[in-house]
Amino acid sequence: MIKHAGIRQAGIKRYGVVAGALVLLTAQAAFGSAFAINELGVRAQGMGGAFTSIADDGSALFYNPAGIAFQKGFKMEMDTLAVVGLFRFFPSEVPAGTTVPTNGYSGSVKPHFIPVANAYMSKDISKKVTLGFGVMVPFGLSANFTNFNDGDPANTKFPGRFDGTRARLESYWFQPTFAYQLSENSAIAIGPALVHTHLFYEQSILNPLDDGKTFGTDVAAVLFPGQNPVEAANSIARLLPEGRFRLAGTSNAPGLAAGYIFKDPKRKINFGAMYRSAVTNHLSGKASFSFTSTGSVATFLPNAAPIASLFPTQAATGSLTTPATYQLGVSTSAYHNMLMAFDFEVQDFDRFASLPINFSQNSGTATPPERRIVFNFRNSYILHAGIEKKVKEGMAVRMGYVFDHSPVPDASAGPLFPDNTRNSFTIGASKMHGTTEFSMFYQAMFFLDRNTDVLANKNEFTNGLYSNFAHLAGLSMRMNLGGAKSGGRK
Amino acid sequence: MSKLALICLTCAAALQLSAQQPKFDPTNFIAVGEGLAAGMADYSLKDVYQLKSFPAQLALQLNTSFPQALFQGVGVGNAPGFPAMPVRVPGPGQNSVRSDFPPQLFVFNLAVPGHRVEDAVNRRPSAPIVRSDDMTQTVTNLILGYPALILKDKPLWTQYEYALQMNPTFAIVELGYFDILQAAVAGDLTQLPDATAFAANYTKIVQGLAGTGATVIVMTVPDPTTTGYFTTVAGSTRLTGAPASVATSVYGVNANDLLTVTGVTALAARIEGNDTSPLPAGSVVSASAIAQVQQRVKDINSQITTIAGKYNATVYDLNNLFTRVRANGVFAGQQFLTADYFGGFYSLDGYYPGETGNAVIANEILNLINTKYGTSYLPISLAATAASDPTVQFAVQVEGTIR
Repeated sequence: MIKHAGIRQAGIKRYGVVAGALVLLTAQAAFGSAFAINELGVRAQGMGGAFTSIADDGSALFYNPAGIAFQKGFKMEMDTLAVVGLFRFFPSEVPAGTTVPTNGYSGSVKPHFIPVANAYMSKDISKKVTLGFGVMVPFGLSANFTNFNDGDPANTKFPGRFDGTRARLESYWFQPTFAYQLSENSAIAIGPALVHTHLFYEQSILNPLDDGKTFGTDVAAVLFPGQNPVEAANSIARLLPEGRFRLAGTSNAPGLAAGYIFKDPKRKINFGAMYRSAVTNHLSGKASFSFTSTGSVATFLPNAAPIASLFPTQAATGSLTTPATYQLGVSTSAYHNMLMAFDFEVQDFDRFASLPINFSQNSGTATPPERRIVFNFRNSYILHAGIEKKVKEGMAVRMGYVFDHSPVPDASAGPLFPDNTRNSFTIGASKMHGTTEFSMFYQAMFFLDRNTDVLANKNEFTNGLYSNFAHLAGLSMRMNLGGAKSGGRK
Repeated sequence: MSKLALICLTCAAALQLSAQQPKFDPTNFIAVGEGLAAGMADYSLKDVYQLKSFPAQLALQLNTSFPQALFQGVGVGNAPGFPAMPVRVPGPGQNSVRSDFPPQLFVFNLAVPGHRVEDAVNRRPSAPIVRSDDMTQTVTNLILGYPALILKDKPLWTQYEYALQMNPTFAIVELGYFDILQAAVAGDLTQLPDATAFAANYTKIVQGLAGTGATVIVMTVPDPTTTGYFTTVAGSTRLTGAPASVATSVYGVNANDLLTVTGVTALAARIEGNDTSPLPAGSVVSASAIAQVQQRVKDINSQITTIAGKYNATVYDLNNLFTRVRANGVFAGQQFLTADYFGGFYSLDGYYPGETGNAVIANEILNLINTKYGTSYLPISLAATAASDPTVQFAVQVEGTIR
């Protein structure tokens, strides 16, 4: 018995390590409302994510940590999500000579699908206290409009590249959670988290209509003496090589999740509330630059002082704030022998006003002390609704709906955030095999088409029609490794 | 749902169409050409006329930079039909020849006097800068190869390559005139350009420029026989003061032949001096040669139009303007300019327009741009230009019919 337990403990440990590794390997990035990922539980997402008042599996650590207080025994869960985003952009204006692909520009150049994985575990240590630990990725982003190689002719390249070509954000929450059952029917939980964030950001630079002109202004009197300096700068901007700027940085910051859940068995109704804190990620990393071999001016510069020498690879810092999340949910199983749930969620994305990047080498270079990329997001709200019906013992089916109001204003719609308000429809199912439950869900995400016409974006060619759709699908495995049986609803 | 999809598709298609609508951007305006676009006038290329060349005047109206390789007087370049200028290295006390010093790193007026279409494609600068035996190469070096030739390991581009390197948004191609002009003034039909080779080189230029995404305007080749360089026997009376019959009966000029500037000048001198000796060589171009030159101009212009259509370039019919000026003259304010020698439109060499003539060309191109691209660039004031244009001020105002 002891030996058996030891083997099981070893198995659990091994499973935990593998699960954790898989999370880190596959939780590359995804997308949600802007860069929020709200689909971190397969069972939950089958019901459109309306799970705050239910929270009866491992993903409770994400949807409402108080939910683990009612999960007795030792449970582990692994949820995987795959996203296939079909992002299309039809620019309303492009530089002369640009050939726009018939189907527009794709924002999913590589990878074509994005995997996201999360791992949860919980164990009751007393009648009232349950501990949990979750590794999840509530914020992430993967956008890639890089349809070109740097050396390609300019008129074949994605025209919005000066606003951004690629972005990857992964914000891992390592969240130990303490849940306390206040009464037979209510519980609270708090989960202080270590938030490890990795950001990769890439955009083309020396836009002939923007920063290229700034560069041109500085050298106009030397290259084109006697010419009108403004006109000369405009011309010089078109004679510069094209560059690409990349920033990669990481940060570790504290975060917090908390929840409350109340279950009224007499009325068969549950209430839930969840809070996840905003996190300010102080990124530290490296900025690098590369340039094309094109551009007539570069050809005439002394070999000892190429343009690249003005943009040295250097240490850089930045600051990125992820929003706080507030969720309220209600569910009932009083009607038609079904579980029905509704959630209302707010994310205060107005915190995400800008991304300042601070360069460390400012003397004798063209890299300024600070470059601020402005986003000016607004708060988002999300409505979730879902139903679940047990079709037979150990098997349940689900469906749901999500309305997600985008926090991205027109001015910030571009290759990094080709986002808009969405309507999603979900289906899902679960089946028990012994003590293990397997679940799946599918979500069809319909984005409203967005047509932007922002004067400030004219020179970056990001105005136009954004037409998106996404398939999301997930699988999960929830194991009851001791104690009460999983899968029950109260 | 299908209706919604149809609307979406229609919107997308409309957006794509609007994305492909032509848009005019003069930011990097380059001119590819020969003497006319370069600003040749009064037998050579010099700054006073370069600054009044039609591309330069056009750039001013378009509010865009247009760096040029400016030359101090007496200028450089040879004018067909006139004695060639010697090519000399500047001596002590002389200055830099190029009047823009320090020089522009790049020039946008790439036109080189004496360049045939094949030169625009193939001729590149080469050291030494000054070639005492080769004016065309010297001018090529001074325009396209300076300062590259005095720097180390810098690219030496042909006119065509240079144009591509300037990443143009707007390009004008004025080529072919010199190809025809040289044959016409000499009455030497063997010098006429081969139509096939001309088309191949011209295609390469237009195709390359169009491939950059630039707006490309190509100009038809003017018929040199409509210019002031050529005077009809009947029209010679205006300049010699003698009846046309004197030219035919005394000097043996056929009534349908054309007199060159050399010919009409010699005729006037002989009549004035009662000299009945034959006119010198190069005075007359026969009617049959004229017909063949005119036919070749037609052939070439037909090819230019075809090539332009193939690469979505716009055609500006310069030949038509020259023909209209020949037939009707043109008003510049109160001044009436004709295509006659000393008529006010052409400079002293007879075939390159003066300042006002260049302004007329620039205005027609501006009008073409405004019409095609919905822009509203203002025209150049011809009256103001004519008021300070020596070509107009010293025109010989004669009563009677033109020519």
